[in-house]
Amino acid sequence: MVRVVVPSVLATQAEGRARFDIEAETVMDALRALPVSDLLFNERGELRQHLNVYVDGTDVRDSGGLACPLAGAHEVRVVAMVSGG
Amino acid sequence: MGVLALVGTRKGLFLLRARDDRRWRTEGPLLEGWGVYHAIVDERDGTFYVAANHTTYGPTVHRSTDGGKTWRRSRQIGLPEESGLILNATWHIEPGRPEEPQRLYLGGDPGVLFRSDDGGESWEPNLAILQHPTRDRWFPGAGGLTCHSIQLDPRDVERMYVGITSAGTFRSDDGGETWLPRNKNVAGDFLPDPHAEVGHCPHKLLLHPASPDRLWQQNHCGVYRSDDRGDSWLRLDGNGLPTGFGFPLMLDPNDPDSAFVIPEKGMEYHYSAEGRLAVYRTRDAGETWESMSNGLPQQAWAAVLREASAFDADSLYFGTQGGSFFALADGDTWVESVRYLPPILSVEVTSWSA
Repeated sequence: MVRVVVPSVLATQAEGRARFDIEAETVMDALRALPVSDLLFNERGELRQHLNVYVDGTDVRDSGGLACPLAGAHEVRVVAMVSGG
Repeated sequence: MGVLALVGTRKGLFLLRARDDRRWRTEGPLLEGWGVYHAIVDERDGTFYVAANHTTYGPTVHRSTDGGKTWRRSRQIGLPEESGLILNATWHIEPGRPEEPQRLYLGGDPGVLFRSDDGGESWEPNLAILQHPTRDRWFPGAGGLTCHSIQLDPRDVERMYVGITSAGTFRSDDGGETWLPRNKNVAGDFLPDPHAEVGHCPHKLLLHPASPDRLWQQNHCGVYRSDDRGDSWLRLDGNGLPTGFGFPLMLDPNDPDSAFVIPEKGMEYHYSAEGRLAVYRTRDAGETWESMSNGLPQQAWAAVLREASAFDADSLYFGTQGGSFFALADGDTWVESVRYLPPILSVEVTSWSA
């Protein structure tokens, strides 16, 4: 079981929930199980460009990408990049 | 009865309610944080539909059946893999005709049209637009390829029009199975051939509801009228308009000869022509134009976006990128009814009762 935490705009789109406890083998599986997965991935299944995903504080880009196994991980955190005005 | 304005902004949707044409009450932001490119009330059943986009979370459509208290998001909207295209933004929602109760249309970027037959739960791309044989001659400009205008002929369920930036005006006479480019006599001053079949840049296209063979068009290169369902266009910006460039377009539902535009300094500039925010009106089908600036600031470098104006039988309405919402009072005086909103992207109006 891993806890997935999403930012407030996504929580608003998930009936106010920001935290989800999910059984998943990979980061991708965990994100796909969210009720807001359509907002995280485009129609090709690619993670949207301005999103960061951290597993226990480490950017998934530095730890094998979304296919990275979650074995032993406690928290997946979705963070919108700092951008815009 | 009063007026309800749905004002889409870069930071969410605001509902503005007027009891008369000078006093408005503001509610919002709803869908906080989303860029509301267009929001409209479906007059068939009162449902609110919103084309909302987010820098991080992408293009969406949301709907509300309780006046904006709660929202449902459409299932993921996308383009087929074989197209090689990704949906960049949702731009405009057009409810279907009264005899098509669950049908809606959605325009988007890159120059795409969708149809829903389940009240906005799911959306299917129109393949004839997606695979249009002229698509390789559509050239996205700084604003992308935006399908921003969808007009339905109220007399004929088979006939409809779309306006797509950097592509042109297209008409279908067979319910969307095929689309004819309809850009004859429209200038494309930025094209190698200014009178090419496609590649033109309509900024807003409207059909007159009482005279559906008549179309009006605010284009990147001029203001135009067609009296033959788009088969040919007549340029109208030589007589009294400071420029032919602009984005919004308003009509008078009771007078097919009236139209309203907001000229801007053209091409690269996109702000009020001559440093003066003004709406220009024609009452003779574009033969002459006159300024309607009573109540508007003496000096302004405002930008009014393509979706940021609306009209009903009694008045006109528009919003600026500076966050001001103007309504026409007593037929001749603009009132800055609400100010300090986020940049206004869209305005639609409907009637409401307390």
